[in-house]
Amino acid sequence: MEQTIKVGWLFNNMFNLHGDRGNLLAIRAEGERRGYRVEVEPINLDTASFDPMNFDFLFCPPGEIEHFEVVAAYLEPHRKELMDYIETRPMLVTGTTVALFGETIARDDQSTIRGLGIIEVETRENHAVYGDDLYYSCQYNGKEMEIIGSQIQMIDLEIKEESPFGRLKYGYGNNGKTKVEGIISGKGIFTNTLGPVLVCNPWLTEEIINLIEANKHWPVWEEPRDNTLELESLKTKIAHINKKETRLKNISER
Amino acid sequence: MKFYLALWFAKLMGIAINLVSKDRGTNLPGEKALTIDPNFVKHFKNIDYSRVIFITGTNGKSSTTNLITHILKQNGKKIVSNLEGANLLGGIATILAKEASLSGKIKADYYVFETDERYLPLIYAQLPAENMLITNLQKDQVQRNGDPDFIIRKLKEVVNPKMTLILNNEEPRSRFFEEIARRSIYYGVSRHDESFTKGADYPTQACPKCHHDMSFDYYNVDSIGAFHCDFCGFASKKTPDYPITDLNFSEQTFKLKDVNFHMPYDLPFMFYNYAGSLAVCEEICGIAPAAAAKAFENFKNIGGRFEVLTYKNKTIKYMRIKQENPDTLQSALNIMASDQSKKMVALGLYVVNDFVPHYINTFYAFDCDFKPVVDSNVERYLCFSEHVSYDTANRLIYDGVAKEAITIMDSDDINEIFAEIDKAETDNIYLITWISTFEKMKKFIEGGQG
Repeated sequence: MEQTIKVGWLFNNMFNLHGDRGNLLAIRAEGERRGYRVEVEPINLDTASFDPMNFDFLFCPPGEIEHFEVVAAYLEPHRKELMDYIETRPMLVTGTTVALFGETIARDDQSTIRGLGIIEVETRENHAVYGDDLYYSCQYNGKEMEIIGSQIQMIDLEIKEESPFGRLKYGYGNNGKTKVEGIISGKGIFTNTLGPVLVCNPWLTEEIINLIEANKHWPVWEEPRDNTLELESLKTKIAHINKKETRLKNISER
Repeated sequence: MKFYLALWFAKLMGIAINLVSKDRGTNLPGEKALTIDPNFVKHFKNIDYSRVIFITGTNGKSSTTNLITHILKQNGKKIVSNLEGANLLGGIATILAKEASLSGKIKADYYVFETDERYLPLIYAQLPAENMLITNLQKDQVQRNGDPDFIIRKLKEVVNPKMTLILNNEEPRSRFFEEIARRSIYYGVSRHDESFTKGADYPTQACPKCHHDMSFDYYNVDSIGAFHCDFCGFASKKTPDYPITDLNFSEQTFKLKDVNFHMPYDLPFMFYNYAGSLAVCEEICGIAPAAAAKAFENFKNIGGRFEVLTYKNKTIKYMRIKQENPDTLQSALNIMASDQSKKMVALGLYVVNDFVPHYINTFYAFDCDFKPVVDSNVERYLCFSEHVSYDTANRLIYDGVAKEAITIMDSDDINEIFAEIDKAETDNIYLITWISTFEKMKKFIEGGQG
């Protein structure tokens, strides 16, 4: 019988800002390269029964803050299940939506939205948008790696009792004042890195699939992916970062 | 007194700049005038705000402004308009200063201003237009705008019950403003030969009224088409007030309210500009479609997005897209895909360099469906432009293009680009890149290299 990886795509239509479907294409391609069937199931407000544990990987893309209250209300009954889920299984939450999983979101108009409280992070909506490249090192599933991407920051993050996901080499990161980027909680990645992060960084995609294989007690695939193109891309992007003008405070001075 | 000083200064400055170059000075005189009198625009006399029309939205502002102005002028109206696309307060201040008498009086039948959606509250504070056309509200310039809701909030600061809105019937975010305005007029485009659908794995958007998922029966332009929300019933009207119908690509004609029109440009995104313009002309300015039709015979769009170059024995079809804007990229891809003859596709997505920091963003390409292009008889792909060429190539690979079919060039060198074009067997070349590289390519050809 064909082995199947089940992916839950949370609020795919509502949270659709930065070509985020690329991440699903990357997961599907890597899963299929290893001979698995990859099923992607959208989860939205009309999904009658959502059980996180039915999935091997959950992806929640960045969305507009105006939708957060209804999504928080939908996910609230699943809060504990999601907390259990990320203890062992991979989840990727990107961009503004990280705030939804945190505690309180302080909005620019002085109102507040209560997040899910799955990660201990305080968040604040910025008055202006900040967009830039983002480059950091991190560890996932026991592997050290470098991640390159972009960031459109509309909400700043303040970590209370969580571990950061990445150590910044360049970029704004959580709030432009620290040396860290995102949060890792169990196997859940909460990152400001937008768009097709799993396309640009297939080494992270490989580790997510490795983790799924381990969780399902399948043998871990040993033939590595050919990442030549993405490594060339990483190299030229680092060259761009190294020569560009920036107004960010140097990482070493933060 | 500050106003008069500012006005005379702006007029003199405008004349001086005009002596140096007729193409410049669309912003600077107004900007300087605003430093002298911060309420400069507010202080002009004789402006009847019921005759002021703002054209705002993500895509199509310039073309719509140009067309409305053209129709009205052809019908003998005196129009003040920022046709050069200077759509911030400084640009509007410049044109008002130019058109005003030395005492600050202006005589015009209508004022038609393209207005940047982000700066609309600032403009409206000094020029409270009572009419506004919203073309569409899409993902665009995310480094500035973040997300569409950021822009919607800007528009909400301005739209009020005194306004008449002219709304795109098939674009949900614009349509949402009908709840606030005094009067809403709807324009739309019926399904036509180049309408399209996208696979189920392409997301749509949330309903602006109830947050549930929206469905599109088809798209006329990316993210614009007949839509409905099954949860709350919010949907495009089957028959908007100003519907474009009977689009005939081979005869270059269409109909609106039983009037036959010549189609000056057969690009699908232009059809909405036609419909919106005709709605404004009749509803606000009293020019009926039959009277407007004549103006379509000789309409020339300023700064269009499509240009054709001849290079050696090859035809280079250039399509200008807006960076960080999937809708304009999808429109360009659809045009390519509609041509089934053998072709070379040269894609030069580029580093976003509007302001510091410049940054790399090609992720909007994942919102776009490349499959129709891939299936449209492409001989070879060229992905060029420094720092982003690998990402562009990867996007194609994820839609099934073999890596071997792509030349990746981590460079913007014009000679190298032409060397690759030279290698193509086909004479049919499609090019997407930013205007600066295109202008260099144009000069290269004009310099006799072709």
